[in-house]
Amino acid sequence: MAGLYPLAPFLALAGGFLLAACQWLILVYAPTEATLGLPQKIFYLHLPLAWWGLFSFFLVFIASGAYLASRKRFWDVLAGAAAEIGLALAALALISGAIWAKTSWGLWWTWDARLTTTLVMCFIYAGYLVVRGMDMQPDRRARIAAVLGIVAFLDVPLVFFSARLWSYIHPPSISLEPEMKHTLVACIASFALLWLGLLLFRWRLAQDAINLEETTKERLMRRE
Amino acid sequence: MLKAALLIASKDLRLTMGRGSGLLQALLLGLLLIFVFSLSLTPGQRMSAQGAAAIFWMASAFCQVLIFSTLYGLEEINGQRQGLVLAPSPAQGVWLGKALAGLCLLVASQTLFLPATIVFLGQEISDLWRLGLAIVIIGDIGIVAIGSLLGALSQGQSARESLLSIVLFPLLAPLFLGGIRIGSAVFSGKLSEGADGWFGIALAFDAIFVASALALFPSVYNAEE
Amino acid sequence: MLLQLRDIARFYGSRLVFKGVSLGVRRQSVTLLAGANGAGKSTLLKIMAGLIRPSAGDILMDDGKEAVSVGFLGHMTFLYPELSAMENLRFWAKLHRLALPLSSFEDMLERVDLSAFAGEKAKSFSRGMAQRLNLARVFLPRPALLLLDEPGTGLDTRSTAILHREIASAKADGAGIVWITHSLEDDIARADTVALLADRRLAFSGSVEDYKRRRGALPTSAIEARPDDVNTRMAGGGEPC
Repeated sequence: MAGLYPLAPFLALAGGFLLAACQWLILVYAPTEATLGLPQKIFYLHLPLAWWGLFSFFLVFIASGAYLASRKRFWDVLAGAAAEIGLALAALALISGAIWAKTSWGLWWTWDARLTTTLVMCFIYAGYLVVRGMDMQPDRRARIAAVLGIVAFLDVPLVFFSARLWSYIHPPSISLEPEMKHTLVACIASFALLWLGLLLFRWRLAQDAINLEETTKERLMRRE
Repeated sequence: MLKAALLIASKDLRLTMGRGSGLLQALLLGLLLIFVFSLSLTPGQRMSAQGAAAIFWMASAFCQVLIFSTLYGLEEINGQRQGLVLAPSPAQGVWLGKALAGLCLLVASQTLFLPATIVFLGQEISDLWRLGLAIVIIGDIGIVAIGSLLGALSQGQSARESLLSIVLFPLLAPLFLGGIRIGSAVFSGKLSEGADGWFGIALAFDAIFVASALALFPSVYNAEE
Repeated sequence: MLLQLRDIARFYGSRLVFKGVSLGVRRQSVTLLAGANGAGKSTLLKIMAGLIRPSAGDILMDDGKEAVSVGFLGHMTFLYPELSAMENLRFWAKLHRLALPLSSFEDMLERVDLSAFAGEKAKSFSRGMAQRLNLARVFLPRPALLLLDEPGTGLDTRSTAILHREIASAKADGAGIVWITHSLEDDIARADTVALLADRRLAFSGSVEDYKRRRGALPTSAIEARPDDVNTRMAGGGEPC
């Protein structure tokens, strides 16, 4: 991770530029969907947000498990960084989804399995971040956060299936034309760069704080 | 581990029952919630079956937060947590003991919430009551499994009830949805499709969280501040 | 060695409590652990008990052969206020998998002078009574390693005599005892070895005779907490741990 860090600004910038370029793909290259019209184009941003948000939460889960197994601070810091980014992306996915819902169905919110799951995930990971912000011994906080990070992700499929069973409304599945597919893949890929850049920034910030603490400790251990 | 769990559970039940205030607070909060929601009805009007089931589970959820906050709070008065950690039995015994005590207290509270729901919200119990009993038992197991795991999380924290609520409630969403759907069928007598799906989800929830609590509890329960 | 600490260090956040602490506890011995307030005596004792992890270093029990039963008496009494003295005692005994007849509980309460209060709730006890009940809890299982953090806190002369008698009898049974004291000079007559924490390290560790010989060369802060420190602590109900 430390080796990747120097790339962070470039990744973030490249991600930004590419996403800007994707606007051309979205607005010009991809055809307008016949029934849903222009609002459907929100989808090209909405999907990367949702995907990378969910992937961030998956990373929290992996890093939490790795922390409990290894007790290395690295994993705890990574989990925290991923959770923050995941929450931001999931919240943006919700907002963009709501805008789409309003224009296509006339409703800001509807009981859809994916929407509900995303909302519940936002609540869960917001709680997770509250726990991370608590004032307690760093080791203990890291252990608790790791346990919560694991439990939270195990809950996600249960939330999804229960939300689907609750009410079986799906947004109309769209058959994508090739240009639409290309645009979507380009958006998701560009977003990956931005995502990785953000993760590296956030991770580095937290890691620096820990390094400072560790250096102080080492000095204290060495000084006679 | 089972012996230690039973020992801790019986001690906790004696303490909460003996002191009274622990369970009483949880009970009163639940009953008040049900009563307050009855105010949303005009005289003579009945709450929809689904609404009543939702209120029943919400009362149970708040009650459970207070129960586990009390149960883990018992070990903080004179530092008993250190003593439990030093005991030769595995830490999971504490989780199981608290979960068992919590289950007893939750079921006891629900036996009061149910008549309160029926009376204040104008509900009737239909022939489907066996389904309702089953979902309450399965749901409660999941609730106490995760409540006992995360109740330990709030040890030594101020504002632990609110902390527990914000962490627990979203995690419990699948159980609530199932409980509300089946509860609504029990009150209305009309069973919609997918009932077995709800039992499947609730059972999966129990299995996942009992297993993860057993695996993860020692990481959250220890003597450090 | 019953208990062997090697090069133990402990941090709280980035504050170093102590480092380089190496110390052995033999069977059938009393080790006095002393040092000024905040020197880390309680922290070291908790590390010995396994309650908290050291930031660095190793702990070896019974030369790694088998698990050692530990009795720990900290600043807190572990008592459930709503349970009676007898119920408290029985709960902790059962938790430690001791199947003792009722008579041994009665006997233990008798030894700490509480048999008249066996059925009374612990919340009605004075500080001294609670501490005696706490002693009963710790001494009842006859652990091989006894870790006592200022066991004399709140005890009057008569109760202190009970404490001294129990420590002597545990030692006679073969127990290794680590005893944190704030009045080293008073308790030294009952000890075999002395360990002093000062300036974030173990300033002295050795036999009582050695200690008496080298006392003059040791940092004064380690030897005796000032009496007014002790008083403030008592009034404040002990330091947070």
